[in-house]
Amino acid sequence: MTRGVLLGRAGFGALGVGALSYGAWLVWGLGSTQWLAVGKWLAGGVIAHDLLFAPVVVLVGVIAARRLPSYARAPVAIAVVVWGSITLFAIPFLGRFGANATNPTLLDRPYRLSWLIGLVVVAAAVVVASLLRRRRER
Amino acid sequence: MTPRRPREEDFTSPLRDNRVTSRVGLWLGIAFLVAFLTGVFSHYGQDTPGWFTYPTGPVSIYRVTQGLHVLAGTAAIPLLLVKLWSVYPKLFSRLPWPPSREAAIQAVERLSIGVLVASAVFQLVTGLQNTTHWYPWGFSFRSTHYAVAWVAIGSILVHVAVKLPIIRQALPQPLDEPAEPVATREPSMSGSGSGAHSMAAPSTSAPGVLSRRGLLRATYAAAGLAVLAAAGQSVSWLREVSIFGVRSGEGPQGVPVNRSAEEAGVVDSAMDPAWQLTLAYGSTTMKLSLADLEAMPQRTRSLPISCVEGWSAGATWTGVPVADLVARLGAPAESDVFVTSLESSGAFSTSTLPPQFSSHPDTLLALQLHGEALDIQHGYPARIIAPARPGVLQTKWVTGLEVLS
Repeated sequence: MTRGVLLGRAGFGALGVGALSYGAWLVWGLGSTQWLAVGKWLAGGVIAHDLLFAPVVVLVGVIAARRLPSYARAPVAIAVVVWGSITLFAIPFLGRFGANATNPTLLDRPYRLSWLIGLVVVAAAVVVASLLRRRRER
Repeated sequence: MTPRRPREEDFTSPLRDNRVTSRVGLWLGIAFLVAFLTGVFSHYGQDTPGWFTYPTGPVSIYRVTQGLHVLAGTAAIPLLLVKLWSVYPKLFSRLPWPPSREAAIQAVERLSIGVLVASAVFQLVTGLQNTTHWYPWGFSFRSTHYAVAWVAIGSILVHVAVKLPIIRQALPQPLDEPAEPVATREPSMSGSGSGAHSMAAPSTSAPGVLSRRGLLRATYAAAGLAVLAAAGQSVSWLREVSIFGVRSGEGPQGVPVNRSAEEAGVVDSAMDPAWQLTLAYGSTTMKLSLADLEAMPQRTRSLPISCVEGWSAGATWTGVPVADLVARLGAPAESDVFVTSLESSGAFSTSTLPPQFSSHPDTLLALQLHGEALDIQHGYPARIIAPARPGVLQTKWVTGLEVLS
């Protein structure tokens, strides 16, 4: 390791440990009534990603690699990256969980319709890209 | 075939590569840093430490910083998902056995990664939910989001320190070269299996397979689209394309509402014709009716209302400068002014104007919005509007101003 890398490591490491310690102290200060609720959501995010979401994505990838013709794989992968992550982001909008009858200015757009239109556009793009690639492959 | 736990070597996609991870990680780190800095600024605006003086201008500062805060967090969602995907196999790597110094170091690193993932996911999930007013949890959002922000940024910095040699190697490395054999990327325990490793790292040039460059472009496109889909609530000319904006920008008198009069429980008390503003300074108290306030010199100012949730709207307010009310009480100009709302409890019910705001000529007790009496949803009969401050502090349905000594 060069001197620069060592210095960089020391700098990032010291800053990181400092910020992390301050954060831990702040979490401590939230008080015992909050710890359980916060802990549930901290652990819940890791569990939801590592044991639920990621395995599903891996499974979809394995199935796609086996079943999809080669020319369709890249378009489908791109579509999953783009529309999959947008969809995950859109969950609070699609469900309108925070909607409030007394405040019509909140969550006031046609989210489900927009999502469906987006899905159709993405699917059409996948079909077109796949057909183009098939022609090129031949 | 009997099912067994997956091993790191079971994942064979050549897209899971340090070059992809480090590039996505760079942008993810930038997004978290922007969100962290703007977030700390917002927190200090609401919970000001003694050494910090919140600025009274430029008037757009909070709508810009808080818009950036929410959009940086939004961009981070696809980036974090792809970053985690690219290193997912490492979740299944085994710690060295028997226990050794090497094993201890790896265990500590694993633990730090756990804290990193937990805090990063927590910040993005709770932040997103907060922008949409969805609170399915039992903790206080602001103090928790703030505390965990320090944990997240600290673990990111530690992570960069640990991975710096890999980052330095992988970031400048061209994307199109075949993958490095896995053995050189990982501390290998034994010499065996190198044949399998080289098979596990095929070139990405096979037809039909997404390239590393393609994956990166798709990731950046996803982040860009997410930002575009959310940005309309902060950037008004993007409203039409922002399919997942929390607000269309419409509302009573053309301005959106964060907390409704019904939620605040002030519908009757705010409309009561007997409403009076109570001014207090020490033992001096004064009661002013709406007509009394309207008889005072009025000032009209264009000031944005900008919310912690990232939305903002420009508006023209007319009312009495708070400084005039302070002077009317005979109180010193540079004072803290404690504002109380008809709303009796909760984060929105009171606020304090520090001296730089209470003495600022543009800090108004507003009676009008766009030249008409305030809509009840905007704080009728009177609300505070000060330049550059977080919306939660622009107290609505004001019933009292107390000058603190």
